[in-house]
Amino acid sequence: MIKANDVSLIYQDGTKALRNVNLDIKPGELVYITGPSGSGKTSLLKLIMGMEYPTTGNIRVLGNSFKKNNTGKIRKIRKRIGPVFQEFKLIEGRTAFENVMIGMRFLGIKPKQMKQRAHESLEKVGLGHKKLSKVENLSWGESQRVAIARAVARKPALILADEPTGNLDYDNAINILQLLKSFIEKDTSIIITTHATHLIKDEQNATFIQVNKGEITVDRRGKSYEKLSV
Amino acid sequence: MKSFLYNIGYFIKETGRIIRLNLLSNVFSIIGTGLILIILGIVIVGTDIGNRLVVMLNEEAEISGYFSDSVDEEAKETVVERIGKIQGVTSVRLVSETEAQDRMKDILGDEAKILELFDENPFEAFVEIRIDMEAIDNILDDVASMIEIEYVRDNRAVLDNIKDITNTLKLFGYLMITAVGITTIIILSHMIRQGIYNNKEQINTLRLLGSPSGFIGLPYILSGILLTFLGGMLATVSIVSLINVAYEGIAGTIPFMPLPPRTDLIEKMMIILPSISLSLGFIGSLFGLSSIRERA
Repeated sequence: MIKANDVSLIYQDGTKALRNVNLDIKPGELVYITGPSGSGKTSLLKLIMGMEYPTTGNIRVLGNSFKKNNTGKIRKIRKRIGPVFQEFKLIEGRTAFENVMIGMRFLGIKPKQMKQRAHESLEKVGLGHKKLSKVENLSWGESQRVAIARAVARKPALILADEPTGNLDYDNAINILQLLKSFIEKDTSIIITTHATHLIKDEQNATFIQVNKGEITVDRRGKSYEKLSV
Repeated sequence: MKSFLYNIGYFIKETGRIIRLNLLSNVFSIIGTGLILIILGIVIVGTDIGNRLVVMLNEEAEISGYFSDSVDEEAKETVVERIGKIQGVTSVRLVSETEAQDRMKDILGDEAKILELFDENPFEAFVEIRIDMEAIDNILDDVASMIEIEYVRDNRAVLDNIKDITNTLKLFGYLMITAVGITTIIILSHMIRQGIYNNKEQINTLRLLGSPSGFIGLPYILSGILLTFLGGMLATVSIVSLINVAYEGIAGTIPFMPLPPRTDLIEKMMIILPSISLSLGFIGSLFGLSSIRERA
């Protein structure tokens, strides 16, 4: 699913964001990327999303390696990823339903199927009753759920959630993590970045990637992940 | 392709949204494009009328060939026949001495009395040759080389002037079309860029979700085409009204002015202006969109 070999990322200003990262994430795996702010978590996600390119080494995502300026390949990989951005990146002026739909429109899915998936995913995140609400009228938590619905409706091979617990209290944070984990499947991996390690310390079936000053340590607990119910 | 077909409704809705987002600015753009296209329409109409005038003048273009003294009547007829076969000669006829004198009397009017001072008719018979302006050089060479022809009067200066007028009108038309085209494309691409700037967050999100540039850009192309087309329609309506008013005015004051048929001109404008506006809209939108192309 994701394989990184000796990947380093140095930004143009000279900041060394990642150093000699080696990584092998398998299909169906739940991965937590943890570490303090500025440790390199987001840089790692950017590499996986093709928003940055390794300075040295190489990274393969979903069987493809990102090549600079090969926009066609980058699009192809991104189409198979369901991102949940930290700031959600929902499109204002549209309803929750339209926001979920827009994530599928260029995937070649038939309109009827798209609508069905959008309805189902909004129901799954508990927002079926708010599907016609404009996203700017939704609360923080609701907006986050729309972002998750948009990601999962695409039926991606990889779900990436960047700090989904960032601005939530303990109960809501646990609920969001449970919700995200409910979408893990045999062929779908989930990568969640968080600095709130206390929320996941008891997790047994997951891979923990600790990022610290650009270097990572990997701790695998359990071999497979049992699907949780919300 | 499938994605485009499945999302036709979405593209139309997005186009409307992009236009509504900056409604006032877009209305002004429609008016601006319309005004530019009105100028273009006026140039096209003017060129059309000018071309018709030039064609008429061209049709009147003629040279005269004067015979040597020794040429008899039968030989003159043969010469006329031979000239008629030269490429570019549209008509040829023999003007007798008497006809030449009568023509001069018509020209002189009351002053024709002066011709009575002559004991004999002072005018010579000549060949009147109507020609295609494009072939004037060859015709002059061929006629002048005939042994029976002593002198050729070619009205060269007049004919060259006609040619110059034609070329100037054409050049002016092309320059205007180029100027209008470039101006419209610049205005439109600026509008599209403005729209893209206003929607940069949305465009960025779509990119991160893996959307192709074509999918992101199509609503902008459609809005560009629609805005320019509306400008084109505004220009068409204005030009048609202008033609109607002008024809009525000219028919009353300058009835001999050689105008093309009004319906032909109106039909032409109704095809040309909307077509040009659609093409310019498409090209302008593509220019505007170049700012979001090929970036991941």
